[in-house]
Amino acid sequence: MDLLLLILTVPFAFGVIMFLMPLHFKFLQTFHILLSVIVSSLLLCAVGKVVNKEVLSLFHDFIFLDSMGAIFLSLIAITGLLANVYATTYMKWELEGGHISLREVKNYFALSFIFTWTMSLSVLCNNIAFMWAAIEATTLASVFLVAVHNDKKSTESGYKYIVLCSIGLAFALYATILLYSAANGKIDGEAMLYTNLLANAASLDPMALKLVFIFALIGFGTKAGLAPTHTWLPDVHAEGPAPTSALLSGVLLKCAMLGLIRYYAVVANGVGFDFVETVMVVSGTLTLFVSAFFLIRQHNVKRMFAYHSIAHMGVIAFGLGVGGAIGLFAALFHCAAHSFTKALAFCSTGNIARIYGTKDMTKMGNMIRIAPLTAVLFGIAICSLVGVPGFAIFVSEFLIFKAAAIDGKYILMGIFAVALAIIFIADFSHFFLASFGKVEGKVEHNGEMKLSENLPLIALAVLIVSFGIWQFDSFTFLLDQSVKTILKQ
Amino acid sequence: MATINLIDIIAVLMMGTSFAVFSLRQYRHSVLAYALQTLLLVAIFLALYDKYDSHELLVWSVTAFIIKVVCVPLYLLRLIKKLGVVVDDEPVGGFFISPVVALSFSLAVAMMFYKVFIHFSIFKDVLPLFAASFIFMMGIFGFILRTSFLKQILSYCLFENGIHLSLALMAYTSHELVEVGILTDAVFAVIIMSILAKRFYASYGSLNTSKAVNLRG
Repeated sequence: MDLLLLILTVPFAFGVIMFLMPLHFKFLQTFHILLSVIVSSLLLCAVGKVVNKEVLSLFHDFIFLDSMGAIFLSLIAITGLLANVYATTYMKWELEGGHISLREVKNYFALSFIFTWTMSLSVLCNNIAFMWAAIEATTLASVFLVAVHNDKKSTESGYKYIVLCSIGLAFALYATILLYSAANGKIDGEAMLYTNLLANAASLDPMALKLVFIFALIGFGTKAGLAPTHTWLPDVHAEGPAPTSALLSGVLLKCAMLGLIRYYAVVANGVGFDFVETVMVVSGTLTLFVSAFFLIRQHNVKRMFAYHSIAHMGVIAFGLGVGGAIGLFAALFHCAAHSFTKALAFCSTGNIARIYGTKDMTKMGNMIRIAPLTAVLFGIAICSLVGVPGFAIFVSEFLIFKAAAIDGKYILMGIFAVALAIIFIADFSHFFLASFGKVEGKVEHNGEMKLSENLPLIALAVLIVSFGIWQFDSFTFLLDQSVKTILKQ
Repeated sequence: MATINLIDIIAVLMMGTSFAVFSLRQYRHSVLAYALQTLLLVAIFLALYDKYDSHELLVWSVTAFIIKVVCVPLYLLRLIKKLGVVVDDEPVGGFFISPVVALSFSLAVAMMFYKVFIHFSIFKDVLPLFAASFIFMMGIFGFILRTSFLKQILSYCLFENGIHLSLALMAYTSHELVEVGILTDAVFAVIIMSILAKRFYASYGSLNTSKAVNLRG
């Protein structure tokens, strides 16, 4: 059976199977981990084939996997697996605390496979309208991963999530329709296929392409959390369970960003890179400063990380705006670096919420003594988020500076430096507040989590440090190929 | 010539029904206005099929009739009955001002967009293209100006109809799975929003979304 066909069917089938499983937590936990490993193995097999320069396509190129898709598919596989494994631990605590029922846990596990399926579909679609449908489906599949409880806050977050993302994505659908109608009859082959559109971008109407990009930016930008349409993100990421936040921030935002990058490539090759770069610099700068402003004021640890997600989407947009081979490389690398980092950050908030029973950082303290490993993991996430050398995010942020310096874009360098400095100060003050000093609130779980419970977090921390100090040839190959595709070299 | 007039007449009627969906105070009436609008959408698909001999639109009209004229309105009527709600909450700007604002701004935006779309559209019918943008914008304004969760679901349905009409006029030749994918998303979105509306009503005792202020900062 074709590997892509397996990827398109197996996660969905696993979701359905999970819905039918008996209500026995130990069994559900083991089964969930097992099925997650199978799904991730399938995804990584496909990525491996792309690394080995195989071309994967299905249904007359309706579905395909290119190097850029492979980068994002590997994030779904790795970050998705680790977040799903952590979810079994997190749900055990929720169950023990009486915050959730066993049936809700089962539904959560089942929906996480449907969610993985929709994200994989969005990455694999060559047909841009179906890619849109898949990205919209990611919202629908994840609403009840966010709104797991029946209380006011949970319902409100679910409401904001579906309403704001649906409105935003409607503009992306208009971009899709307009791009198709602008290309239909003017290019060889199917005008809905991204590969055809990219190959024939130069023959498309420049005015139409500019409008298409603005619509795509509003649409996919809303889903990716770019300002000023980011307002759903803090509420949703802060309110959902920790592993859901890890999945949303670590993987889902990147899938939406991939949609935008595909439009970026087509439009840039149609109207020239200056237009898309200018738009992305404006969007990235606005996003960075809006998030930095709100970040300083945050005391809720999950809300703080949610604003971080917005900030780092701003970094990716800024990288695309700086442009050039290095800027694009940096933006794509940042997608991976931020994925691992944010998954670790949100998963560590699960541990922290268990220790203190609150998300308010002003009521925390002394974590380094209560749960030293969690404090270290939390610290690694913070260090990476602010771009400390030796951690993954430093690499991409440094490369953005380098790209700007090579092109003589010194004003952009200055703007980027100021935004990162604000984020740096805000983050470390919050980190010290939570990790050191006296506990202002109460400690509900006085001790470290079991090592087995912390394993997914340790794996994420290892990835963050590895990507910060080591260059993985296969991953660099995928990045290089993707940059060449965008630049049409 | 007669067919061209018919398409234009249906397009104008669709615009009128979108205004009705937005403005009518009784939920039941709003849903029925939506069902009527979708019936007109089916009619416009059939008229376009007749005029341009585009077989794809014949299939689209059948699926749209089953899903959007029959299933979605029935589902929404059932939701209204279950919740026991009758009349909309006071919208932003009041019952009189908000429809006027939505109408005027939707007309203005549609005036801008249709001129761009007509350059690239497969079918060069002016009024339906204008109507598609207008209906889409009425849906967007529905989200902004109406505070009722049910009205917002209907607003989603409205802008989905606007997009569906644009798709038929500008991209009906695309792969058949595209329409299936978009329609499936729309149906699931309505179902999920309805479940959330039920939860919302149970939590807040109302469908007024302006009460949802627990998450801020």
